[in-house]
Amino acid sequence: MSERGFRGVGRIVRFRRPLREHVARDVDDEIRFHLERRAEELVAAGSSESEAHDRARAEFGDPGRASQTLRRESGRTERRFRLAEHVGNFRRDLRHAARSLAKTPGLAWMIVGTVGLGIGATTAMFSVVHAVLLRPLPYPEADRIYRIYTDSPPYEWPFSVADYQALEEQQTRFETVAGYANVTMTLNRDEVAERLTGKTVTWSYFPLLGVSTVLGRGFTEADADPGAEPTVVVSDRLWNRFLDGDPQVIGEAVRLDGRIYTVIGVLPRNVGPLEADREFFVAAQWGPPPRRGPFFIRALGRLEPGTDPATAQEELQIINRRIFPLWEESYQNQDASWGMMDLKRQVLGDVGSTLVIVLGAVAFVLVIASVNAANLLLARVANRGRELAVRAALGASRKRLLQHLWAESTILAVCGAMLGLLVAVLGIWLIERFGADYIPRAQEIALGGPVVWFLLAITLGSALLFGLVPSVRGGRARLEQTLRSGGRTTTDAVTSRRLRRALVVAQFAIAAPLLVGAGLLLGSLARLQRVDPGFDSRNLLTAGVSLPAAAYPETTDILSFLDEAQSRIEALPGVSAVGFANGRPPDHYPMENNFDLVDRPVPAGSTEPSVPWISATPAFFGALEVPLLEGRTFDETDVAGDAAPVLIVDHTWAQRFFPGESALGRGVRQGGCPTCTPFTIVGVVGSARYTGLDDPGGGTAYWPYWPLLGTDRQGYFFMRTSVDPLSILPSMRAVVREMDPSVPVENAATMRELLRASLDTPRYLTVLLSGFAFIALLLSIIGIYGVMSHFVQRHTRDIAIRIAVGGRPARVSRTVVGRGMRLAGLGVLLGIGASFVLTRFLSALLFEVGSTDPRTFAAVPALMVGVAILACLVPAQRAAAVDPARILRED
Amino acid sequence: MELWKGTLDSLVLKTLSGGPMHGYSVTRWIREQSGGTLEVEDAALYQSLHRMERRGWVESQWGRSENNRRAKYYRITVRGRRELRRQTGEIRRYVGALFQVLETEIA
Repeated sequence: MSERGFRGVGRIVRFRRPLREHVARDVDDEIRFHLERRAEELVAAGSSESEAHDRARAEFGDPGRASQTLRRESGRTERRFRLAEHVGNFRRDLRHAARSLAKTPGLAWMIVGTVGLGIGATTAMFSVVHAVLLRPLPYPEADRIYRIYTDSPPYEWPFSVADYQALEEQQTRFETVAGYANVTMTLNRDEVAERLTGKTVTWSYFPLLGVSTVLGRGFTEADADPGAEPTVVVSDRLWNRFLDGDPQVIGEAVRLDGRIYTVIGVLPRNVGPLEADREFFVAAQWGPPPRRGPFFIRALGRLEPGTDPATAQEELQIINRRIFPLWEESYQNQDASWGMMDLKRQVLGDVGSTLVIVLGAVAFVLVIASVNAANLLLARVANRGRELAVRAALGASRKRLLQHLWAESTILAVCGAMLGLLVAVLGIWLIERFGADYIPRAQEIALGGPVVWFLLAITLGSALLFGLVPSVRGGRARLEQTLRSGGRTTTDAVTSRRLRRALVVAQFAIAAPLLVGAGLLLGSLARLQRVDPGFDSRNLLTAGVSLPAAAYPETTDILSFLDEAQSRIEALPGVSAVGFANGRPPDHYPMENNFDLVDRPVPAGSTEPSVPWISATPAFFGALEVPLLEGRTFDETDVAGDAAPVLIVDHTWAQRFFPGESALGRGVRQGGCPTCTPFTIVGVVGSARYTGLDDPGGGTAYWPYWPLLGTDRQGYFFMRTSVDPLSILPSMRAVVREMDPSVPVENAATMRELLRASLDTPRYLTVLLSGFAFIALLLSIIGIYGVMSHFVQRHTRDIAIRIAVGGRPARVSRTVVGRGMRLAGLGVLLGIGASFVLTRFLSALLFEVGSTDPRTFAAVPALMVGVAILACLVPAQRAAAVDPARILRED
Repeated sequence: MELWKGTLDSLVLKTLSGGPMHGYSVTRWIREQSGGTLEVEDAALYQSLHRMERRGWVESQWGRSENNRRAKYYRITVRGRRELRRQTGEIRRYVGALFQVLETEIA
């Protein structure tokens, strides 16, 4: 047959194949047709009717079995065709949708941009929450690991050697216990001296956490023997940076704080949060303690499998009570007990609530972006009423129309998700890079499986929101009516308009809590920035030094170094005063010490008060310009070997313990040592903040660098300058290097920088939340503007008539604004109501601002209503400018 | 003579390459063209047609037969023609090789 004949048959046989409903019937029909035709042929050739039928069946084979096989085969074919049909439809829809979206690129970009940003930011925050809050710590069976501490509310004190040894010997509920103390030491190599952070750990520390070395070994009991040769385990980072990643490093010697340590092991690159910022680990060698204190050991315990934490807690308290009488001489606090806490909770601290707040805020932005998208798409469907009506009239089923609308949502959602992925990757990178100081476990954040699932889920949720809402309108509209009315939307769009108004109300309701939250944080930050640190922070340079123990064994060595350094630095041009102390405002103090007043001792057995305790040189107060309020500052006599112990306290301390009286001359016993010689208060100075700008603190005590005090070799120079403080730094470094090249100068910063940096966390949070709130407000404005513009457009004729019959344009625009205000007002009202509940979660982050701060709660609605009015004014002006003559002539 | 395994598809495709047909005329055409030598079991033929439809080598459509009865017509597709060429070539090579072996003089 020729191609032409082919076409001839094509007339009867249309090979654009419709889908078949009845596979089984078709198969039977086909077989019957064959059998009948064969029988007819046989009859024509002379067979009898029944003979012919039998023969046809016999020739065929087994028609019953054939029918079974054919049905199966046919069914499979059918399913394939159906799938192909759906895919084909969907592809056609996608092409069409892409074309129609391309006609309104502004709208498409707006939706993809806002939704994508929302998806990305929410995903990035979720990845943080997932890595930091939801996942267990990266130690095997981490849920059995607990931190053990001395519980003396509101404080959780570390353990002492006496405590730890008692715990180790007497406890029965833990599989293992371990202790560690964070330390910094100076690593010397050739001419380079570097301060490194590390840990002193008990030999059980690594086994308890389940951490093993990649090279060499961890500690054994022998390493912990007092007098054993010092050994060190190094981090992967230190190994690569200082030991050149040499696999032969095991057994080599390094010099830490002037002592030789043998390297016995290297940790893996990925470690848990307790090891993350630590470069080295040395074995603790604790002998029998002479007294209960000092308290510096952080204890850990791994519970026996299946042990109830409550029974372990009980046992801890029993042990504490048991050892109490042994140390009554040096420790009298009967109120304090031993407690334990899930290690994860301890690692996270209070960062969890902040993360959840930020996640909540970005989720709000995503919802508002999706609502905005729904609103825009709904308006689009309304405007395309005529096109949809034509398609319906041409036979498109309601289902196909919806599928077409869904194709648009799908394109937008997929583009949004792709942008979201990009934003999430960028966001995670930013958080890992800049958030590591504020977020524990930041190194564990990654775009893993659960995070990707989360992204897909919120994309789907968002797409459902902005895809479904418009299709309610698209599907329900009485299309033939639309068609008849010439495409102008008539009463059939009531649903659509109600929906759009509801969406605008929702936008304002969601934006309000974000704005309130941002407002509260802004107010709080402004107050933080106005806090007086207690001294003059201008032209003040600070730089830390630490003196190696080997070279400076005695306090007198330290003092002579400090004396000489102070006078040499003071001689530098541009420097007017130099002091030294081992604490640095606004947020660093070396220790908190407990004490008792000689005049007013705390009742026997109760907890003594404690405050930050700082060693300072006499010149410290002058250099910082901390005012002397009463008495005197330190002088040379205070640091003499046989000097009487003296103390300077700050104003807050004096007010707290001697309100309305003078604190001068009072006696103070420090460190829970009832037999020690009391210190005499010789001066009262202004209050400087050491516990953060947001904390007024409970006072500070200063003591001089005093020979009997022992050896604190680490501290900061404070240099008052008459020039740019940072310009002094190079010459200051040179002075120290000249005096002793093995003393590193570190952590140099101007006081201005320190004050600023101490507010980084609240500032980032405020900027973040304000940004979200701004986006939310912007989207709400777009929403209300769109709805009111549509309102004016739809009512042009009514407006024209009103103006024609003498209505004043000003009244017309008032009506428009009034309508908009009803929506905005309702939304704001709902949102402010919700804010009263929601801002409670912020209260821990606020400084001197209540979570229901009336000023914020008044300003936010005013702002929102204000911008809503502005947004409505444009369409209102358009309404007022309607020219009745032109409009009415049009029809 | 019974058909060799695997050759039915090629016969059916060849038949349809002339133009659309229903299953019955396919059987008749094959029988006539081979001068009655090749016997095609009808059930097997329909299985072949349905299998090839699933594979996209032929497509089908219900239509009216010459005496105006409802009949299912099959048409070869572009992929079907390609398959026909492939199978024809394969059979030719197979038969050629077969002959080469069978007609070798064994000394």
